[in-house]
Amino acid sequence: MSQNRREFLKKAGLGALAGLGAAAGLFPAFALEPTDSSGFTDAPVPGKVRWGMLVDTRKCLGNCTECIVRCHHDHNVPDFGHTKSEVKWIWKSGYENAFPTASTQFQNPEVLERQVLTLCNHCTEPPCTKACPTEATFKRWDGIVSIDYHRCIGCRFCMAACPYGSRSFNWQDPRPHIKELSNTYPTRMRGVVEKCNFCSERLVKGELPACVVSCAENALTFGDLNDPNSEIRKMLAANETMQRKPELGTLPSVFYII
Amino acid sequence: MNKFSQFLVALAAGLSVFVAAWFFIHAGHRGSVPAHAEVSPAVAAATVKPGGAPVDSAKCILPTDYMRAHHMQVLDKWRKDSVRKGNRTFVNPEGAHFDKSLNTCLGCHGSNPMFCFMCHEYANVKPTCWNCHLSPMEVSQ
Repeated sequence: MSQNRREFLKKAGLGALAGLGAAAGLFPAFALEPTDSSGFTDAPVPGKVRWGMLVDTRKCLGNCTECIVRCHHDHNVPDFGHTKSEVKWIWKSGYENAFPTASTQFQNPEVLERQVLTLCNHCTEPPCTKACPTEATFKRWDGIVSIDYHRCIGCRFCMAACPYGSRSFNWQDPRPHIKELSNTYPTRMRGVVEKCNFCSERLVKGELPACVVSCAENALTFGDLNDPNSEIRKMLAANETMQRKPELGTLPSVFYII
Repeated sequence: MNKFSQFLVALAAGLSVFVAAWFFIHAGHRGSVPAHAEVSPAVAAATVKPGGAPVDSAKCILPTDYMRAHHMQVLDKWRKDSVRKGNRTFVNPEGAHFDKSLNTCLGCHGSNPMFCFMCHEYANVKPTCWNCHLSPMEVSQ
């Protein structure tokens, strides 16, 4: 048989193509899979919880860092002493840093100077979970974007994917940099990413997140966004609110009253 | 052999490659459950909400002999169930309820700070639990 390799591959490819065409004709499901549109709706699913938070920036004023201190203590967040390797779960950003795409033209100067409380948004469409190669970070059944520290390999793809800078990396062993060890939550080890977990360890016990409890001004409201009768939903209906970078379509679960 | 029969042979080869590939790709799919078929998480969230899982740490979850040999498998399963699935309640054969947490164990065993370490030292095993979890050596439970 005088047939060179190139000729053979050409014809074999044609055969495979013919097979593909025949299969598509025989099994129409293979040619075009029907799209499952149930995942597209953002209407609340009955019986399903979606935890959310509302930050009232009118009440969250001044240099108060009560919630930050409490959260970082309870979750054994290390303090490495310099901003380059800073680990943060909840922190304060300038108004224009928190809402970079919001219009600031002729805005009330008092508002522009506000320090806005920022934390993980626990997005409905989280870009970080899609970037994670090990599924260490994932969307939980209750809307919380969680990190399974056991599985994190420290690749930091999620940090690159997060549009809100909510994730921090442990460049060093965090243990020696924790001022006072708290037994309410484990620490992390060197080489893992960490972030706010909406206090899932407290929710399990039926308690509100540490930041919400520690706020003396009651500036933080926490609740189930899928429950139309929850306090947070009533607050959202009664006030004009904002989300961070809504144009990205991540559908954050953290809302702000300006 | 003429040109046409050559062509047929090649075509057949291509077809067989395609059929093989088809079966190879779909081999593992029969009988496996699609990921979104698990309904438990939503239900788990609803049941987990107030009060949390009951903790009954007065006695050990399973017989001592079994725990001595299999505590690592139990803890591994608990970790997967509680962290990833939200199924936090363990029911032992006697019907007692436990929270699937390392703290359930440490509720009693934490009273002896050396409890884990003595045996691990003897068996020369180095589990990574305490890289993150706080052992009774570091924090009194």
